[in-house]
Amino acid sequence: MSRLALFPDAWVMLAPGSAYPPLTQTAARGGWWLMLRRPLLVACVLGCAMSLMTSGRVTLRLAVPATIYWSFVPLFEIAALAAVGTIKRGGFSRTVDLFFMSHAPWSLGLVGYAAMWAFVPAVHIFTWTTSVWYLPGLAVAAWSGYIDFCFYRSVIGSSLFQAIRGLLLQRLICWTGVAAVFLASAGWQVVAARLGL
Amino acid sequence: MISIRQSAGYLIVAAIAAGTLSDRPQTRNPVNLGGYRVLAADFHVHTFPLSASTLAPWDLIFEARRQGLDAMAITGHNQTLAGRVGEWFARHTDGPIVLVGEEIHAPQYHMIAVGIRNTISWRLGAASAIDEVHRQGGVAIAAHPVEQFWPAFDADALRKLDATEVLQPAAYSSETARLQLEEFYNRRRFTAIGSSDYHGPGPLGLCRTYVFAREASAEGIVDALRDGRTVVFNGNRAYGDPALIPVARENRRLIEPAAETSGRAFGAVLSRVCGVLGLLLLICSGFPD
Repeated sequence: MSRLALFPDAWVMLAPGSAYPPLTQTAARGGWWLMLRRPLLVACVLGCAMSLMTSGRVTLRLAVPATIYWSFVPLFEIAALAAVGTIKRGGFSRTVDLFFMSHAPWSLGLVGYAAMWAFVPAVHIFTWTTSVWYLPGLAVAAWSGYIDFCFYRSVIGSSLFQAIRGLLLQRLICWTGVAAVFLASAGWQVVAARLGL
Repeated sequence: MISIRQSAGYLIVAAIAAGTLSDRPQTRNPVNLGGYRVLAADFHVHTFPLSASTLAPWDLIFEARRQGLDAMAITGHNQTLAGRVGEWFARHTDGPIVLVGEEIHAPQYHMIAVGIRNTISWRLGAASAIDEVHRQGGVAIAAHPVEQFWPAFDADALRKLDATEVLQPAAYSSETARLQLEEFYNRRRFTAIGSSDYHGPGPLGLCRTYVFAREASAEGIVDALRDGRTVVFNGNRAYGDPALIPVARENRRLIEPAAETSGRAFGAVLSRVCGVLGLLLLICSGFPD
């Protein structure tokens, strides 16, 4: 087994195809904590990133409330996972835990983005072309998509078609919900204007 | 030997301690110039949720104090709920003056309505939307009026419009955008507005408007905007009431808003370095299986 097995999140991030099968065999215990620990980490990363972006520091004043209300993101991810019916043998808690091991690319991308706003004066960042945002965003989406594809194949035991369908459906449900909470009021205008509603 | 996970934990604790201890509101003495109370304001602020921003209205009230803002308008996309929540919270926490606002996010134009009570439909044309803003006692501000939005502002809308964002982050994105904002502003003597169009990344109040109000209140601010009593600085450039610009230039605090003290600035640097390193380590090391 790889030395990376000591750090399963990094192992999954770097080699999901070889990391997930042995991790799936491990009988992790913990019940609720097992299900919540990695989603909580995602929420904490989100909260700290929001604080860094606005104030250039990690302050309890911003990080704590932002962690609480941005926990809607991992909650939507879990709900989408459940809606797709993605449950491996060993229970939903372990499925959620293994699924959130794939979240590292998004979290790293977010911390990188927040670090940029924390360290570089905002007036400089606004001069950068928009492709500066799109390219890393697409890279993270592709990286994360590949890990999730491996999750469906190795952890859930899906066929190629089922893995792609599960991945896309989970993304569709989760991202639609997150987008609705994040930007519904302007988003509805854009949709309604396009559709002539 | 300290493990990677322990190191990540220590770094994050250090980041939170340094960040929280260095996080203090700016102490600002009231600025009085030319017989007016001068208020630093940001009239284009979005909140979480629904308006594509990261922080809730109550968090922005305290953040506005840290950034030395005396007033702000919370301008939800096509809704006033966030503004009403922010106004209520500010009233009960001795916060800055919060004006209820809306960014009317229409297909052909974006417009900031400040000092209104009820949501104004994005389905209205620009001139009709301005009429509704005025009927509710508010002020209409063209939001980032770069060239693509100009056709929506016909002669009627331009005649009724009160103010325009002459400085906002779009002005930093390109010289073309900056010149377009200036050109729109110069079409007639609009009230000059500098706004941060806050969505989360970057500081609140990055671009700000100095309002020369007769009284430090929401009503006083709306009156000043109607009368064009504002000044906006962008480096050496200044926009606004020609009579008030030289008055404002006399006060260095308006041209260069107060920086953090060296101790707090050090705390912020320590917090962001430890925070970023700690988060990166924590994400990569994760949890043991």
